[in-house]
Amino acid sequence: MSTFIQYTLSGLAIGGIYALVALGFHIMWTAAKAVNFAHGDTLMIGAVLAVLGVDAGLPLWLACLLGVAAGALFGILLERFAVRPFTGGTTSIGWMLTTIAVGIMIESLATMQFGGFSRPLPSPGVEKAVHIMGAGIYPQELLIPLVAILAMVGLKFMQKHTLVGRAMQAVAHDKRAAALMGINVNRIVAFSFGLAALFGAAAGILVAPVIQVSATMGTLLGLKGFAVAIIGGITSAPGVVIAGLLFGVMEKFVEGYISTAAREIIGFSSMILVLLVFPQGLFGKREVLKV
Amino acid sequence: MPSHMLLRGQLLAATVMLGLSSTLAMAQQQPCIGNSAATTGPAAFGGAAIKMGAEIAIDEINAKGGVLGKKLSFVQYDDAGAPPRGVDNTRRIALADKCVAILGGYHSTVAVAQAEPVNEIGIPYVGVLAANTKAIENGANPNYMFRVSAKDKWVARFLVEQALKASKTGKVAFFYENTGWGNGALPDVKDAMAKAGKELVATETFNWNDQDMSPQVIRARDAGADVVLFWALDREGNQILRSMDKVGYKPTIIGAWGIAGNLGELAGPLADGVEVIQTYTFMGDMDPKKKALWEKLQAKYGLKQPSDVKMPSGVANAYDAVYIIAAAIEKAGAFDWKKVHDALYTVNLDGLVAEYKPAFDAKDPERQDAILPKYYKLTVWVDGKLLPIEQTKYGKTN
Repeated sequence: MSTFIQYTLSGLAIGGIYALVALGFHIMWTAAKAVNFAHGDTLMIGAVLAVLGVDAGLPLWLACLLGVAAGALFGILLERFAVRPFTGGTTSIGWMLTTIAVGIMIESLATMQFGGFSRPLPSPGVEKAVHIMGAGIYPQELLIPLVAILAMVGLKFMQKHTLVGRAMQAVAHDKRAAALMGINVNRIVAFSFGLAALFGAAAGILVAPVIQVSATMGTLLGLKGFAVAIIGGITSAPGVVIAGLLFGVMEKFVEGYISTAAREIIGFSSMILVLLVFPQGLFGKREVLKV
Repeated sequence: MPSHMLLRGQLLAATVMLGLSSTLAMAQQQPCIGNSAATTGPAAFGGAAIKMGAEIAIDEINAKGGVLGKKLSFVQYDDAGAPPRGVDNTRRIALADKCVAILGGYHSTVAVAQAEPVNEIGIPYVGVLAANTKAIENGANPNYMFRVSAKDKWVARFLVEQALKASKTGKVAFFYENTGWGNGALPDVKDAMAKAGKELVATETFNWNDQDMSPQVIRARDAGADVVLFWALDREGNQILRSMDKVGYKPTIIGAWGIAGNLGELAGPLADGVEVIQTYTFMGDMDPKKKALWEKLQAKYGLKQPSDVKMPSGVANAYDAVYIIAAAIEKAGAFDWKKVHDALYTVNLDGLVAEYKPAFDAKDPERQDAILPKYYKLTVWVDGKLLPIEQTKYGKTN
């Protein structure tokens, strides 16, 4: 029984990370019908800058705040220079390639500046494990899925009840109509990329004490977060969060009861399977393209 | 027709010339020592360590007049851990720079790839970090691949010996990373256990960047292992320690040198008591020889404290390797690959890491490796520092 609880709790912690990353993809997609494939690296940017800030003698909270702010700025700049010039065309190849390229560049730059070693980000949340029915977990890990759910609820609230949130939905629905209604489409798209990156950088800082900070920490998380967003249905915020949590728990059970090596094989096979059965993802709405 | 004939004649002449110039090149090697290692990327500290050790040894040798009246030089190229770049660098060092010998780098995958061009060209290669068994024991004869570093096969034996000494139940688990290095060590560890008449009770693997190891840790715990061997790097080593902490599992941990970097910083008090094999360390008390080397490192590279040297084994191995190569050149009496290769088997030297008598043995294919297991050192993490075990409380209980 304690093993079962252990896998569930550890899985929720990992799944919470995927969910947070996937939420970022959801935000970008719903506003721009494009995503930043360097989104995993926004996690890294937030966490790396927080560690460098602490190194420079800043208090932890200020270092984290600066990391989040820098992440948001990165998202806005990336949208302006690597996404917007390429979304006009008929294919998605342009922004896919440019954002992947930016991700690789950022990662190389971080390796040069930050070095090859992982570094810890101090947090009271990982000092001592708590025990729940025989299973051990760090409080910081419990926090991650909670934050993911809160973020999703907050996002929903914003989309429904604020002007900017409704504008984001309008832009997502039809750019031209939104523009005719007086919405500054470019600004809304830039805002949503900035918001997604802010989310990403904050998520990076939140998970850093658990997974350690390194130049490559975001690569796999970005990929899995995207997979989760697709599985959950990238148009649905609750969908991607639920899919993220489930995916994390499933991984732990595969690792625990089958083998560690089988994890990626089963994980990605199930993604393909889900897409075959539910082309829009588990919770995604069917998108009708009008010609 | 005549124009064709002319062309053919020119081609023939060109071929002859090329052949001549290449034999000429063979006869004239330069007093330089090359190195292909990762100087960028996550393992850049490995390349930096090799550079430090080699340059200091070369400075010392040159200050005493060089070798055969010529000053040695050092040339390092980046392979970033990529085998094709390592092969490319090997050819460049041998055929363009015409160096008399080449030092190996950090990555085992690169060393394995270099074995073939090294033996084809016939340039003496001395590995100073990568520990993969097959890179050096590659079956070639004559074999130009040498090593002044740890060898996984011997490391496995050494670690298993330590593990069985520390274990009360004789139950040992093995955690290894899913890479060329980790997978290469698995048969070595299994063999070493079999030689002691035992079997591993759990073999667990994991990928780079894995965040949580609780399933693996639970299996090892439930199998009853009271000693766990690590073939991991610092980041994943830390994640295993944290997962062990979470499920309340406290075995004795002994690791290969992948966790000799910054595990203490990552895991904090959880790292205390984790033992790591190395060939050399600057931590703890220094004897006069070590102190002299440390002062030179400090002066030349602006280091502040001994823990700034991230891979001390690499520094000392490269330092010893350069001295062994220099002694071989003296004995050979020429900067000639073949002669230096043969002379390497006759070098006797009192080095930093070991007493090499002789450095290599032509009769024993296992002895293309210079550092015997008896010179391996156990160090232990205490308060974020990796100290020689005999200088800590952990050494006294052993």
